[in-house]
Amino acid sequence: MDRTRDRSLYLMNLSLMLPELTALTVLGVLTLGEMYVKDFSQKFSARAACLGSLAVFAAVLFSWGRQGTAFGGMFGVNVFSLFFKGFFALAVIPVLQMSKEFFAPRLRFPGEFFLTLWITLIGLFVLSSARDFLLLFIALEIVTFSFYIMAAYLKRDLFSIEAGLKYLILGSLASAFMIYGISLFYVASGTTSFEGIRTAYESGQAASLITFGLILTLCASAFKAAAVPFQLWAPDVYEGAPTPVTAFLSTASKSAAFLVLIQILFGVFPAFETGRTALFSVLAALTLIYGNLAALHQTNIKRLFAYSSISHAGYLLIGLAAGGRAGLESILYYLAAYSLSTLTAFMVITTAGQLLGSDKVDAYRGLARRSPFLGAAFFIALASLTGLPPLAGFFGKFLILSAAVQQGLIFPAFLGCCAVAVSLYYYFGLIKKIYADEPSAADPLAVPAPTLVLLGISSALIIAAGFFPAPLLSLASSAAEVLF
Amino acid sequence: MIPLSHYLIVSGILFSIGLAGLLLRRNLLLVLLSVEIMLNAANLNFIAGSAAHSDTGGQVIAFFVMVVAAAEVTIGLAIAVLLFRKQSSVDTRDISFLKG
Repeated sequence: MDRTRDRSLYLMNLSLMLPELTALTVLGVLTLGEMYVKDFSQKFSARAACLGSLAVFAAVLFSWGRQGTAFGGMFGVNVFSLFFKGFFALAVIPVLQMSKEFFAPRLRFPGEFFLTLWITLIGLFVLSSARDFLLLFIALEIVTFSFYIMAAYLKRDLFSIEAGLKYLILGSLASAFMIYGISLFYVASGTTSFEGIRTAYESGQAASLITFGLILTLCASAFKAAAVPFQLWAPDVYEGAPTPVTAFLSTASKSAAFLVLIQILFGVFPAFETGRTALFSVLAALTLIYGNLAALHQTNIKRLFAYSSISHAGYLLIGLAAGGRAGLESILYYLAAYSLSTLTAFMVITTAGQLLGSDKVDAYRGLARRSPFLGAAFFIALASLTGLPPLAGFFGKFLILSAAVQQGLIFPAFLGCCAVAVSLYYYFGLIKKIYADEPSAADPLAVPAPTLVLLGISSALIIAAGFFPAPLLSLASSAAEVLF
Repeated sequence: MIPLSHYLIVSGILFSIGLAGLLLRRNLLLVLLSVEIMLNAANLNFIAGSAAHSDTGGQVIAFFVMVVAAAEVTIGLAIAVLLFRKQSSVDTRDISFLKG
């Protein structure tokens, strides 16, 4: 550590950590409530956590526009990190409602689950602000460790245990790759800060060590993003984990992986440009082909969404291969649109799973007749995931593919277009089941009121982001600007 | 003084041993042990780098990595206990209920 960094260690700039401190306070309140308030777990914990995430979102809004670093440059705040913090704070709200619906009948103290979920959120916040590989690694591990716990949360269910175990074994392999890569950066440059490694790489000192480390860290992040050939864990973990955890895994964890990839590729190694384009074009092509083809014949809806999330990772990888401001902007927009649609779909899956008692695709036959509202929300979410205009998902795909064409990546863009056609088959197969097939039972389904409200809001947002993409797009572009 | 490259070779060997153990071993406890070996290979790099650059930062990082490793094993053992309660075995071959 050089001397200026030592001195600035004392300048902690706690005001920059307002969202994190708010989240920590909420965690404290939730823990104390769990310990001392009677019936807190069943009655108030979900509402308290929901209010907490609104408070955290307000803190993010309050910090909007602030810039600076704290803890000797380890922790940085700018529009890019705040964009992700706001995104995570909002994404956790539907997950809270799903968890309440899912765990309240199954566990005596469902509130304990929210504590784990909240620790994940804090890890994601620190991850968004990490400007040093040590902090990045630790924040990423906080997130992954809580996911191991959450995946195995139904501790009497063999599927859930297996999901947790598989995620743990393959996830720890990824973290070993990550930390070994970081150790090579350290050996080569004598520092773990983004800036220090960037200067070392650009000056060409110990280039082979740094390049090897870069490959290892990229492998680890591609694992978290479930990109082919690191996707093996995804279908099993998605199927076995409790449904709300699957929803959080396919949105927040995937976004975190892309956050790390963006930081590494554009924040630390912008000089790795030619390698990046070649490497990620290949990864994107493999991921798109594998995800879409494997999704065609799935009978379990969570497994189907696992493959669908792999294929969406393929689009995001095209964005990474394209790079540049347009590429980054499109990735941020796509992440927001994809997460919104996926969370909407998973709210339907959680509720339907509760009411139908099954996650099989066949159980969804005639769902729209038994609950028109669930059917409509599912329809909007699936159409947006397919990329039908004028929904949010359409603009995401359009932006990514046009960024790729601008950079001359014609083949990945072409594959992306073909993948839309393939994905029509399995997404609309589901829609056909919901609308055209005869239901197995005729009684209407009673959907809980908070889920109805959240489903209404998120479906409206999907449509609104499709008709008026400008606000979200300008947010994404101001966030992407920071890295250039 | 031992040159830096020797440390790198040893840590590379350690990492490969850990990786091979993780991929080949079928007992869950040994799989967790292999992960520890891989993390310790990284630790060796951090300490060697710390000596080579005469910077104490690397030693601090090694402590953080140890804490992370301990947390990882704690969760791993907890899940192993859950599994053992269910089916009296921690063999990874016995867990394949999820298939597509």
